[in-house]
Amino acid sequence: MIELHNVTVTYQKDAPALNGINLKIPKGDFVFLTGASGAGKSTLLRLIYAAVTPTRGHVVVDGQNVTRMTRHQIPFLRRNIGVVFQDFKLLQSRSVYDNVAITLEVLGWEKKDIGKKVYHILKQLGIEHKLDASPQRLSGGEQQRVALARALVNEPRILLADEPTGNLDDHNKDQILRIFKEANIRGTTVVIASHDKRVVHYSHNRIVHLDKGSIKEAHDVTPQA
Amino acid sequence: MSRPRHNLRPHASTMGHWSRFCYFAGKAWANLIGNKLVTILTVFTITLALLIISLFLLFYVNLEGTVEQWSRKVVVTAYFDNELSPQELGALKNRIAALPGTESVKYIAKDEALKRFRSRLKGQEALLEGVAPDVLPASIEISLKKQFRSVDSVTGFVVGLKRIQGIGEVQYGEEWVRKFFTFFQFLRVLGILIGSFLILAVLFIVSNTIKLTILARKEELEILSLVGATPFFIKAPFLIEGMLQGAVGSLLAVILLVGGYYTFLAQAVNFLSFNPAESGLIFLPTEYIVALLLGGIMLGLIGSLASLKKFATT
Ligand SMILES: Nc1ncnc2c1ncn2[C@@H]1O[C@H](COP(=O)(O)OP(=O)(O)OP(=O)(O)O)[C@@H](O)[C@H]1O
Ligand SMILES: [Mg+2]
Repeated sequence: MIELHNVTVTYQKDAPALNGINLKIPKGDFVFLTGASGAGKSTLLRLIYAAVTPTRGHVVVDGQNVTRMTRHQIPFLRRNIGVVFQDFKLLQSRSVYDNVAITLEVLGWEKKDIGKKVYHILKQLGIEHKLDASPQRLSGGEQQRVALARALVNEPRILLADEPTGNLDDHNKDQILRIFKEANIRGTTVVIASHDKRVVHYSHNRIVHLDKGSIKEAHDVTPQA
Repeated sequence: MSRPRHNLRPHASTMGHWSRFCYFAGKAWANLIGNKLVTILTVFTITLALLIISLFLLFYVNLEGTVEQWSRKVVVTAYFDNELSPQELGALKNRIAALPGTESVKYIAKDEALKRFRSRLKGQEALLEGVAPDVLPASIEISLKKQFRSVDSVTGFVVGLKRIQGIGEVQYGEEWVRKFFTFFQFLRVLGILIGSFLILAVLFIVSNTIKLTILARKEELEILSLVGATPFFIKAPFLIEGMLQGAVGSLLAVILLVGGYYTFLAQAVNFLSFNPAESGLIFLPTEYIVALLLGGIMLGLIGSLASLKKFATT
């Protein structure tokens, strides 16, 4: 599903953020990406949704070379990838509903279908009562769930989450992880970047560990329970 | 890349072209309402810009009108070698009328010439007391078609005129004509220069104002792009917004122009005992008004396009 071939990313003239990465994530996999701050986790995720172009090497997603895509092809790649951004990227001037609906509007859905679907996903995440609120009126955990709702609402084939549990208490973390798990069971390939021990050891999944831009260990603890 | 497979997608009906357009227009409208201050700023910028351009046009159109009036005074006067019989005169007039460039031909008989001369000597008519009525020669006055009223054309016309049998001396105030046309040419070039400069400046200002709108929504553009919006999807509402702002801005400009013009006329009548009908003042012809309205819409569109170009998303 996701393949990185000898990928190096160098921002400006600094030391490379990622250095000669080789990684294969099969379809339906559930992977944790760990590593210290600045190790390159966000950069690796950005490569997959084509927000960063590799300096060397290439990235293949769903059989297609992302590195060679034109700016008219990239949108169609992104429609298959749900992303929970580290900084959420929610529009403060819009309601929770609008923030989630945007994913479906881009696909050209009819209003009534969007309404049903958005309500459904918000309910699943337990924030349907905040539908009309502005994200800046929400707690950190609630904002995180809005970001997750936006990423999941079109049932993407790939779900990328960058530090998705940073603001949550243990109970909420488990709840969010359960949602990731459910999406994974429905066939979505999930990659979660996190340095939260509780999250990474939530279940026995594959862990890819980054250290200063290189993969140090990539182990399958055990296949899913 | 081929379109994604939809088999894993939740099933939903998608919009047709019309509802897609409505969606974009609705979004544009929501954005206009949502950013009132920037919207008002942009509309007023466009209004002001078009008002300046239309005032310039008004001035230019009136200048052209005045010049057209003046250039009617460029008259070629031809005298005859000998006295002509009425038949000969008729034939001659026909030959002159057949020349390319002749607008009208007028015969000035000897007594008519004296009458004109006398009227010029207002108060001192006594000087002409006892002068024979045929002391002045008869002549033909030819006025020229509009496109022949230039230095070279007049000279060429005179050459042709002189070839006609029976035509003697020809007068057309060479020096005056030359000066007049040179001056007019200068005004015209100046007008075109100022006009193009104005249009460029207006485009620059409007596109920078619209850039403010886009800057204010940079975040939204980024998110749209990240959730898979095509460049067209991202741009369409902005283009519609630009056109709407342009339309409203130019409409306001036209209203202000018409209002201002007629208020000015009314005031001038009251205070300056000024007769608008005799003044020769002209308002902008309808084509110009339509062009201003369309120009405003184009201005909004081009301004949006230009400022979007710098935000090549992804
Ligand atoms: N846009 C950018 N421009 C320049 N350098 C960048 C940019 N983004 C990241 N970097 C650099 O690349 C390196 C990897 O950054 P990245 O954001 O991928 O780390 P991370 O593992 O996600 O860290 P964190 O856990 O703090 O989010 C860092 O040294 C960072 O300074
Ligand atoms: Mg990061």
